[in-house]
Parts: sequence; C-alpha cells; structure tokens
Amino acid sequence: MAHVHDHDHPHNKPLSDVELRVKALESVLTEKDLIDAEAIDLIVETFETRIGPRNGAKVVARAWTDPDYKKRLLENATDAIAELGFSGVQGEDMIVVENTDAVHNIVVCTLCSCYPWPTLGLPPVWYKAAPYRSKVVKDPRGVLDEFGVSLPEDTEIRVWDSNAELRYLVLPRRPDGTDGMSEGELAAIVTRDSMIGTGLAGAS
Amino acid sequence: MPTLTKDVVPGLIATGASCRIDEDVAPKFKPGDAVVTRNINPVTHTRLPRYVRGKRGVVERDHGVFAFPDTSAHGGGEKPQHVYSVKFSFQELWGEDHAGNMYLYIDMFDDYMRPAS
Amino acid sequence: MNGIHDLGGMDGIGPINPEENEPVFHSEWEKRMFGMFISCFAGGHYNVDEFRHAIERMDPAHYLESSYYEHWLSSLETLLVEKGVVTREELDERKKFVAMEDA
Repeated sequence: MAHVHDHDHPHNKPLSDVELRVKALESVLTEKDLIDAEAIDLIVETFETRIGPRNGAKVVARAWTDPDYKKRLLENATDAIAELGFSGVQGEDMIVVENTDAVHNIVVCTLCSCYPWPTLGLPPVWYKAAPYRSKVVKDPRGVLDEFGVSLPEDTEIRVWDSNAELRYLVLPRRPDGTDGMSEGELAAIVTRDSMIGTGLAGAS
Repeated sequence: MPTLTKDVVPGLIATGASCRIDEDVAPKFKPGDAVVTRNINPVTHTRLPRYVRGKRGVVERDHGVFAFPDTSAHGGGEKPQHVYSVKFSFQELWGEDHAGNMYLYIDMFDDYMRPAS
Repeated sequence: MNGIHDLGGMDGIGPINPEENEPVFHSEWEKRMFGMFISCFAGGHYNVDEFRHAIERMDPAHYLESSYYEHWLSSLETLLVEKGVVTREELDERKKFVAMEDA
C-alpha cells in the first residue's frame, strides 16, 4: 500500500474529514498509476506563480495604450490575448467586454464557477460562493455597493452570466489622470476585481 | 502510466480543451432575432438556468458551434449546435419595477430557444 | 435539474465577504484536489459536463455549507466510482487507514 503519511502535518490536530478523503483518493489513484504527484506539484506551482490577474492586467494595459490591439481584443479576444502569451485551460474561447462612461459590465457564473483562468487565475472564494452568484444577476448595484463601488444612476449595467464555454473578461475604464503613465505603470493599477466588474481600475 | 505526467503539464495548461466543434451546422438564429427561451425543467443536466426560462430576449452575437452540455453530461453525445449571446432586460427577468438600463447577457444554445412570435 | 446550484436570483443568501489578499489555495488539500481534477480530466475519465452534473447531485444542504474544492472532491469521488475506476469501499478503507496513520 502506498505510504500516505504526511510528515509535514503538525500533530496538534487530527486531519479533517475532507483532508482524509483527499489523501485517500490521492493514495488510491497513485497506487493505480492514474495520477502523477510531480505533475500535480507542477500544476499547483503554475497556478500559484505564473497564472493570475497580473496576466489580465497586461492585456488591459496594452488595450489602453494601443488602439489597434484594443480593436483586435474586442473583435477576437482569444487571439488577441494569445498575442501576449496567455491561452489555454478555461480561456479557450474568450470574450472581452468594455466598460465606458456609459456602460459597466460585471461577470458571474450563476450555475458553477466559470472564470477566465489564463488571464485572471483561479477564482476567489467569493466568486464561487452562493451569495455573489445568487445576487449579482438580480441586484448588481447592491453587489457593487458591497464592493464599495458606486456608479451614476444613468450608467447602463450589463451582467454576463458565463453559463456556456465562453469566458468573459472586463476591459475596465481607464482612470482619468493616467495620460502620462507607461504600459507597465498602467498594468499595476488594474485590479482583479476591475476585470470581473466588481471593482474599478485604479481603485485599491 | 498516468496520462498526465510532468512533461505534459505545461502544454496541456497552455492549450486547454475547447468545447468548440469544427462542424458546419446551420444556425437557427441570427443577431437581432427576438427569441423566447424554452420553459424546460429536465431532471438531468442543463445550462439553462431557471431565471431565464420562458423569457423574451434578443440575440446579440453568434459564438459558433459547441457541444451541447445537456446531452454531453449523460453520454448522449455532443449534439453540436450554435451558441449565442442573448440579451434580456432586467424588467423582463425581474419585473417592471427594475431600472430600464440594466441587462443580462447569457449564452444560449439553439435548443434553449424558439423564435418570438 | 432544478437543483441548489441554480442560484441566480435567490434572495437572502448572505453577504459576499471578499477576502483581502486571498491566497490562490487556502490549504494543502485544495492544492492536491485541484491537481487531481486536472489530472483525471486529462486522463479522460469524465467530461466537464459530467463533472458539473456530479456537483449538482450533491446533498443540497451540504452544497451550500461546503467550499468549492469540496464540491470538486465530491464530484470526483462520485464519477470515479460510477465509472468503475475506483470503488466506494476502496476509498472508505483507505480513508480509515489514513486516519489511523495520522492518529
């Protein structure tokens, strides 16, 4: 039987039921030679260090500074994002929606947790949890309130429920007073939430 | 040997597995079409949420041909068909007391809709 | 199915409570779970629609109480058992063994 004891595990509390189930499953699948621990380590490392909202921020900053790129991004997001080297799992078919003075977009997956991994990484817990998924399609302004975002009454709100295999990224509005900033400086003010639509760029 | 070994991981993550299907299937709708979503209540898998069933919307964009989750989840094959971005007003979804400048966009398969008469 | 997962438009579910500076994973078991999901998907043991439907078949009360990676764990166990890759008994026995070793 495969050795399943984790020596890093501090012995001040017993493993939870979920931890036991995960270890049991991993042990059985390893024994059947169906999974490879090193592959799992690399998957985890990739999503912890290489794939995250900094990728999406680069896409946004490029779109803010290069009108031709922005046009390509809005017409064929998958290819335009791949130009910057971001592609793959849960970003195979991308759509980018643009925030303007008149329109604000917000993305959700009411049925599960669909999210554009190559540009935003893995979703935060709140994005996958019931309160956000239930509320944002009916009361998006109430949700924005919870995130401390207030928009004028005449701003059109568009909520995108990503229920199929298209994945959505919001192109946030470029903040005023950023004219002199470089692409790199601009990328630094693009937050994850501004690309989901629950935040605004430049606001921390 | 496991299918996914360490050397395969970078390529797999960078490529993914699109559910888009390269098949010539005629679209049943086109952008601008007024549609009504079907009121279906299968006890099996569907990606048609309750809150948009039986609602009137407008097709905004044709995304192309994709595998159909309702059959694919149950060994029923891919049943390739078009998926569209469809726009619904909050007033249609939630009632007339909602603001007139709020919209819900959701991706609808051919089988989830019929033409609005 | 008209399940608990179909949440759009429900009221009174509670505050959203975003976490400041949230880590990618919150614990070691989430990392292993994520890696196993990708590995088994690549292994062709299920498609994404089957995976989602197995989450939808969770006990509804437990669905609301548990974290998303536990949903994934539940789905992976369900599908691997249904497809004959593992048996429920194998998983239960191994779980007992892991618990005994941990004690």
